[in-house]
Amino acid sequence: MRHALTAARLTAAFILIFGLAACGTNKGSTAPASQAAGASTGTGASTGTAPSSGPISGDLTVWAMGNEGTKLKTLADAFMKDNPDVKVNVTPVDWGQAVAKLQTAIAGGTTPDVSQMGTDMMGQFGATGAFEPVPADIDKSAYFESAWNTNIVDGAVVGVPWYVETRLLYYRKDIAAKAGITAPPATWDDLKTMADAMQAKGGAKFGISLGTKNWQEYFPFLWSNGGNVVDDAGKPVLNSPEAVEALTFYNSFFKEMLTPRSVPEGFDITPAFVKGDFPMFFSGPWHLSLIKEAGGADFTDKWAIAPMPKKTTATSFVGGSNVVVYKASKNKDAAWAFVKFLSDPKTQALWYTTVTDLPAVQAAWDDPAVAADPNVKLFGEQLKDTKAQPASASWSEVSSAINDTLEKMTSGVLDPQAAADEMQQAAGALGAN
Amino acid sequence: MTAIQAPVGRRALPDQAARRRAPSKVWIYALLTLGIVLMVGPFLWMLLGSLKPQAEFLVNPPTFLPKNPTTNNFERLFTNLDFPRFFFNSSLVAVAVTLGNILFCPMLGYALAKLQWRGKRLVMGLVLATLMVPAGITLIPNFVLMRNLGLVNTYPGLILPFLVGPFGVFLTRQFMYGIPDELLEAARIDGATEWRIFWQVVIPIAVPVLATLGILTFLGSWNSFIYPLVMAQEPEMYTLPVALATFATGDHQSDHGLLRAGSVVLVVPVLIIFILFQRWITEGIATTGLKG
Amino acid sequence: MTAPALSRRNVADTGTRPVSTRRGWRQDLTGWAFAAPFVILFGVFMALPILISFLLSFTSFGLRDLQNPIGATFVGVDNYAALLSDAKFWKALGNTFYFVAIGVPLTLGIGLLIASALSRGITRFRTVFRVGYYLPVITSIVAIAVVWRFLLNPDVGLINNVLQAVGITGPEWLANPTLAMPSIIAMAVWRNLGFAMVVFIAGLQAIPVTLYEAAAIDGAGRWQAFRYVTLPMLRPTILFMLVITTIGYLQLFEEPFVMTAGGPLDATLSVTMYMYQQGFTFFHQGYASAIAYVLFVIVALIAFLQFRFLREDA
Repeated sequence: MRHALTAARLTAAFILIFGLAACGTNKGSTAPASQAAGASTGTGASTGTAPSSGPISGDLTVWAMGNEGTKLKTLADAFMKDNPDVKVNVTPVDWGQAVAKLQTAIAGGTTPDVSQMGTDMMGQFGATGAFEPVPADIDKSAYFESAWNTNIVDGAVVGVPWYVETRLLYYRKDIAAKAGITAPPATWDDLKTMADAMQAKGGAKFGISLGTKNWQEYFPFLWSNGGNVVDDAGKPVLNSPEAVEALTFYNSFFKEMLTPRSVPEGFDITPAFVKGDFPMFFSGPWHLSLIKEAGGADFTDKWAIAPMPKKTTATSFVGGSNVVVYKASKNKDAAWAFVKFLSDPKTQALWYTTVTDLPAVQAAWDDPAVAADPNVKLFGEQLKDTKAQPASASWSEVSSAINDTLEKMTSGVLDPQAAADEMQQAAGALGAN
Repeated sequence: MTAIQAPVGRRALPDQAARRRAPSKVWIYALLTLGIVLMVGPFLWMLLGSLKPQAEFLVNPPTFLPKNPTTNNFERLFTNLDFPRFFFNSSLVAVAVTLGNILFCPMLGYALAKLQWRGKRLVMGLVLATLMVPAGITLIPNFVLMRNLGLVNTYPGLILPFLVGPFGVFLTRQFMYGIPDELLEAARIDGATEWRIFWQVVIPIAVPVLATLGILTFLGSWNSFIYPLVMAQEPEMYTLPVALATFATGDHQSDHGLLRAGSVVLVVPVLIIFILFQRWITEGIATTGLKG
Repeated sequence: MTAPALSRRNVADTGTRPVSTRRGWRQDLTGWAFAAPFVILFGVFMALPILISFLLSFTSFGLRDLQNPIGATFVGVDNYAALLSDAKFWKALGNTFYFVAIGVPLTLGIGLLIASALSRGITRFRTVFRVGYYLPVITSIVAIAVVWRFLLNPDVGLINNVLQAVGITGPEWLANPTLAMPSIIAMAVWRNLGFAMVVFIAGLQAIPVTLYEAAAIDGAGRWQAFRYVTLPMLRPTILFMLVITTIGYLQLFEEPFVMTAGGPLDATLSVTMYMYQQGFTFFHQGYASAIAYVLFVIVALIAFLQFRFLREDA
């Protein structure tokens, strides 16, 4: 009786606030797309139908985050030059608040036409059903496969890779030389030896900087050791013997004080690397320019980058961003045209020169602008051996729990086996939601 | 700062007890000064930081005084961002919200303190309860509501939810209790309507408390962050804090100088307002009956 | 409009004149006319969203319902039941109480000391001090975060560099699970004591000087005057500040949000921070709403108890 009453009130209030949309100021929104997530059936990833070709026009709102958000205008201007009837409005969004902002926009039905979407956000936002399936005429083979796969949510392809990033080893050549090492580490053992030597003989405060609570830094070790997050059937395997071994290796750097057990929030590795406190760290391509800037001209010869050290494999993490088109968009033809424009190898190369984002389109790597820099080529090589996190709706939750567990391990509260078991348990939520 | 410790003039002191112990005042001044260094020092550093070029933020150990002072960070506020626009947005929203609060809150405060009507306890209870609900939880319902009213990304969308607030009701109601009933009765006998009494008797004596409410509301609105962040969808509707968080925090490294210059600009207007009106705040609070 | 309601209202009235039903109607009308603008705005933009979020706490409203909230499944009190066995929630609750238990007395104590010094201890530079101590209150959290990250940074931060100068290697304030919450408390006290100070100054101004003069004649020292004159006279102000500060501190959010995101090892995870995480990072809006309303009950209970006990034994 009481339940019935509450339910009735609940419904009434919902209709009051949310139902207003149906008769109120329903400004051009499309019909509710609640069943969209389950629309695709059959095996493999399905794609939508190709949009009608022909001249495009009208307004297009694009949300982009961080650096991309503040620089995207360059590309938007180029696009508008080719398509004078389209007006592209770029809205920059801060990464820190992007999730809350996108979430409210989806709930309110006020999404943009197109937006950037971090690869690790795809599972969660894809499951809301807010994204339009990718039309069939976008060719998946043009992109790095691991990047393309981050767009598959509930069996449907709902986004297109925009740019990629992967992690390499940054190291101080001068400190290594002082410690008697001339070549970058090729294997895990080499990495350990090098960290040891740099701290003991090279005069560095620590041997390396490793994340205390960052799954993106742990997973390359997991993958390189033949382990995985989920097996082919999608079952979590985070406490496999390979995983425990990888965690033990990762943890040994903390136990042996080669890297600090705690890192302050907002820690900036760049000045610490230049100063020589941390002579090694794993990071993405953005640190190339940051180090150049912070180190100045006489620092150029003192550092280099190297591929992931090898165990069974030398697999790194692939991240970056995709672009998605929203179901609520009123100008889908123009939206897809813009997405295709972003995927054009020429645009990708231009984008590389604008913000040094690595092209997700393989052909763009042949462009002289990209191919010129030997450091960037190293990133290109590494990209061929990369993996990404599973595109699960509950990834943000699971990854947050994995980070928590990593922090417990690196701070000395949990041993690697217990940490692996805790991660495995947290990953149980991957199938849910 | 030595002037502070000099003997105080022999003008009339507020009380004898204080005068008798004049020597120990040096200590009071010293402690208060130490406190002020702790309170204001960080802001001074922020101000100095706003004059540093980016490279100077990365040196270790850090510099306190800028080695190569530059106004570049402030210039970039205007060249990189549409700063006047954000400033205008913040000001418009804060002024509108303030006006709403100093008009509607005393009206209810008066009705709650001095009028008899059915439903008053219910209204009071509901208003009280909202103080205890964590604000973030209404973000999505509020956004959906605004969207259904077509107010997302508009000035009314930024203003309406804050046009009234529970704090203003408490403050004004508390003050109205202190108004002698005889004063109102006299006006009623003269045949004045409640509306006229409110405007011609109550409001004039409520000026200090309204000033207090106005300043506090303005400060709150000027500094609010998460709500305008989701409600202002396009950059032309961004308020200052939102714009600052959006444009000055990089992906992998903040634009330290811009962030500090922006912070300085964020603080200075409210600081001026506070200095101008700070007397009103204590006076206003003193009249609400919270006094001993 | 029923008879009992009417008679009760008559008792509450001033009772100087006979009150007719007609006059009752008109009084109601006048009252509501004054209340109307507030009540309408408040009802639509505050009460309604609050009601909706309350109803959401009985649903599993999550990311798949985001586009179609009416489709959210009604789950009764499941969210509340799940909270009881949610270790993170209890941890957050414990952290919040820790913050309140230390932060509230510190804020009020220091605020009162400064207020006393400013209104009775000194005569010069009052405005300078008042503005200085109030500065953090008027500053946006965005700017405060900039300032405090610099203060607490272990390598380039002001505090550790000062410690370095006297030969102490400062700790990693926010990265150390034991020191993180004290750091957050310090930040909150720093940020809020200005408001306490201003309210206390207002309260102190209203205490008649004659009371202090009488105390001085009786030979009371500064401490005794504070103990036997200031404290009792200031009781209502202290009570008000105690309740307001406790309500505010129980909803601790901004400081950990901008400084630690709840870490390290959840040492600064507050209830509201956890609510935000569940609602806006994991999209469990239903569960987040339940967290909010459990906190609401706790806040209301504590505020009620404070009123009850501190007002009675005056």
